Order: sequence, then C-alpha cells, then structure tokens
Amino acid sequence: MLILSRKPGESIVIDGRIVVKIVRLEGDMVKVGIEAAKEVPIHRQEVYDEIQRNNQEALTASRPPLSHFLTKATARPPSKPAPVFVAR
Amino acid sequence: MTTAELTEPKTPKTRQSAGREIIQLPLGLLGFENVKQYVLLTNPAEEPFMWFQMMDDTRRAFLVAPPARLVPDYQPDISDDDAAFLGITDPSDAVVLNIITLRGDDRPTVNLKGPVVFNRRTRVGKQVIPNNATQYSLRHPLAAS
Repeated sequence: MLILSRKPGESIVIDGRIVVKIVRLEGDMVKVGIEAAKEVPIHRQEVYDEIQRNNQEALTASRPPLSHFLTKATARPPSKPAPVFVAR
Repeated sequence: MTTAELTEPKTPKTRQSAGREIIQLPLGLLGFENVKQYVLLTNPAEEPFMWFQMMDDTRRAFLVAPPARLVPDYQPDISDDDAAFLGITDPSDAVVLNIITLRGDDRPTVNLKGPVVFNRRTRVGKQVIPNNATQYSLRHPLAAS
C-alpha cells in the first residue's frame, strides 16, 4: 500500500480524475473530501462490505417457488383472504 | 379469487399476466459490478414479489419487492448525487425495490439499507445507499407478526 503524508487542505490526485482532499482533523476523525465523476461509486468500506455480502446471500440459483410464509408478510386485514400463490 | 386468476387463462396475450422489463444498472449491484443488465419479471400470482434476474444468466435472480406493503413507513432519502445519476427530477419517477433474502427455512429478511432504485422513464437503475441508511436494517425480518 502506498502511504503519503498530507496536511489538512492538501490533496492527492488518483489517475488524473479522482481528487482526495484532507479537509480537516477533528480529534481522531479525518474529514476527507472526494471529487470524482458520478460514474465512480464511492462507499464507506464497512457499508459496501455488508451490502455486497447480503447481495451474495440473496442471490438465488433457481428462482424457488415462493412458499407460503411470504404471503404472511403482506397479509391484508382479516376481512379479506390473503392472496394465495399459484404454483408455477 | 383475484382478477389475475379469472382473466389469465382466457387472455394469453399478457399485459395483465406475467411481464418482463429490462433494467440497466450501469454500475451493477454491489459485489456484482460486472452484471449491468437485468430483467424484472412480474407475475400477478406472486405480487408484490418480483424476480430481478440477470439478463445473461437466467438461472440467477434476486427476489425483490416494492417496500410499500412490506415496510409501510420506509422512506429512503435518496442523495442528490444518486437522483442526478438516475435522472430523477420528480419523486414519482423513482421506483424503489428492496432485495429479499430467503435464508432456507429461516425467516426471510429484506434489505432496507441498500435498495435498488430505477427511473421508470429511462429504466436505468442503481443500488443506492440512502442518506438515512443508518436508521434502517440490512436484514429486516420480512414477516410481521
């Protein structure tokens, strides 16, 4: 990993198109500003990691039939019968 | 009996029956950045659930649903940058879908932290992290009891 020393107000340019600026220090926090094209996704790593892990878990390999418990999630008031899924 | 059950067998030329809509995700989903084209498969019998299927791999799909009936008070605050990326100028342009994880026999959960939002006019979408994502669960239990 490349490690550079920067002072608040100084920046780093990546690939000529992404600018990372150290905005200020607040105790043990560093405020970082990032300038990049809107096509460049930028995420906090822990958030990115947990969402991509959840996506991996959610992916199904064979669109399983929606079993009855899903109907409970959207059950309408008791006056109307809950929708029943029709088998494929 | 639902309307779909009554009409579907007699009107095979769709519209109210199964539907498919192509959605472009220029950035993919998180962890699936290289998959940029999906087909949203709808079936009245499975409403409000839909399948968000990879266009080039018809076996691989995510179960999704609009949050309205699952989590009625869900109000993701989409960032200005994401709205601009999607070309959303009016909230009515945005379609929000949340990804559901089936988890075998366990209770299914719905991801409220990273919804897929697409523009209903352009059918371009993105998995966004709303400004208020920290107040929502990544694994919100689906069945309210």
